[in-house]
Amino acid sequence: MRTPQWFRRVVTVILAGGQGERLYPLTRDRSKPSVPFGGVYRIIDFTLSNCVNSGLKRIFVLTQYKSYSLDKHLQKGWNIFNYEADEFLYRIPPQRRVGLKWYEGTADAIFQNIYLLERTKPELVMILSGDHIYKMDYNRMLDFHIEKKAGLTVSVAVVPREGAHEFGIIEVDADWRIVGFAEKPANPRPIPGDSGHCLVNMGVYCFDTQELVRGVCQDARLPESHHDFGRDIIPAMVGQGNVYAYPFRDPGTGAPEYWRDIGTLDSYYAASMDLVSRQPAFNLYDREWPYRTWQAPVPPAKSVHGFTPDGSLAGMIANSIVGGGTIISGGRVEGSLLGRNVRVNSYSRVTDSIVFDDVVIGRYAELHRTIVDKDVVIPEGMVIGRDPAKDRHLFKVTDDGLVVVPKSIRFKD
Amino acid sequence: MVKKVLIVDDEPHLRLLYETELRRAGFETMAAANAEQGLEYVDSMRPDLVVLDIRMPGMDGVECLQRILDRDNTIPVVLNTAYSSYRDNFMTWAADAYVTKSSDVGELVQTVRELLHAEPVSQ
Repeated sequence: MRTPQWFRRVVTVILAGGQGERLYPLTRDRSKPSVPFGGVYRIIDFTLSNCVNSGLKRIFVLTQYKSYSLDKHLQKGWNIFNYEADEFLYRIPPQRRVGLKWYEGTADAIFQNIYLLERTKPELVMILSGDHIYKMDYNRMLDFHIEKKAGLTVSVAVVPREGAHEFGIIEVDADWRIVGFAEKPANPRPIPGDSGHCLVNMGVYCFDTQELVRGVCQDARLPESHHDFGRDIIPAMVGQGNVYAYPFRDPGTGAPEYWRDIGTLDSYYAASMDLVSRQPAFNLYDREWPYRTWQAPVPPAKSVHGFTPDGSLAGMIANSIVGGGTIISGGRVEGSLLGRNVRVNSYSRVTDSIVFDDVVIGRYAELHRTIVDKDVVIPEGMVIGRDPAKDRHLFKVTDDGLVVVPKSIRFKD
Repeated sequence: MVKKVLIVDDEPHLRLLYETELRRAGFETMAAANAEQGLEYVDSMRPDLVVLDIRMPGMDGVECLQRILDRDNTIPVVLNTAYSSYRDNFMTWAADAYVTKSSDVGELVQTVRELLHAEPVSQ
């Protein structure tokens, strides 16, 4: 166990400026890290919980687009740091100290905030992304970084080769030194000795401060650069020989750990559904590793049994997550995630769906593979998710046939 | 094409010294007495390189460096300072070179040559 004193060497920077265009319309009024997830959480809660559970309590959250929702959430839910003990969570919108630009890429976000590192003078900087779902003890990665005497350690996930072309692919030598890097290659190279899997860049970095400052300052001067860690900084540093990949695996079994980058509506949906299976792929219920969020002052969830005209029981919940204040009042909910203060009225059906806070599902309404954003009343008898052609007239429908009902829309009676 | 070097320094005798030596080395020169004027010259005269003092009244050289890079991040900038503590300011790491002020201008001229020709100059 490391002491609080030890952790004063480390500063954590969470990149939370993601616009999340591919999550539209969920990102119409909020940035990606602030999108609700798992009934009561926001996506950023997972990275922040990992930090706090790991002992990393000196945190800058770099925000950019539509940050009001995220600001509010951090203010309400993450006001848990002891500033007198040198813990902090500061939200940093673009300061425009360095120039009059917005952040042009992840590395530019650090470059523009280099003043923060100068003031806090950490030895190590953890750079994390605010839009991933995973459970990670960063101490293991810090141990690895220190043991390897690395200048930069990149955490890598082990993923199946099919689908790996969507990520930055890392090649390593026998000592886990990074020897090659390819951003979204058409034909990703597998792990030597394991042709079915690749190592992908998780966007989780541990830097020696000097290396980070040197890297982003040099990069800032390159006119052709995208100013991105994955595309520019890592490839430029790989030749130095002190860049390592930390494999994100179960230390006991060696099995790949759960990690999801919430990039698209379909990946958002898939990660959500990972929470509601009987043996969930991602476990929220580990008391050793609590996921913290803003706990709204709402009463416990409740169900009210209703009866269909033929006398069978209509009110039921199965394989679902239900937020506080929600009342299942005679409707059926299966394989779904419901937020807070949702009302599921009699004879309605909600299957394989995600419903955010403050939604009312009218009597006899039906939702299937549908995401309903906050503050919506689904009118009595409305059916969504059964007829893509019809749904497309009113809503966003993804390639996988998922329907998204945007926040606060009003249906005519 | 003769390369243009902009010198930004608040001390008149140093401006004169640098201009003299850099002209002798074959460069065209111009000099600004403060950062604000220096930025005007960057905009109006498009220098090929800037020699920038750090400690100046008004806007200092580090702020000026940031603003130059914001205008054009390809202009080479040499930070020229009498103090070594400038490295504590991480923004100075974005400069192309640092030269410590001394009565011998040889190092400064050599650095300017290297940056503008991008080829090694014999010692």
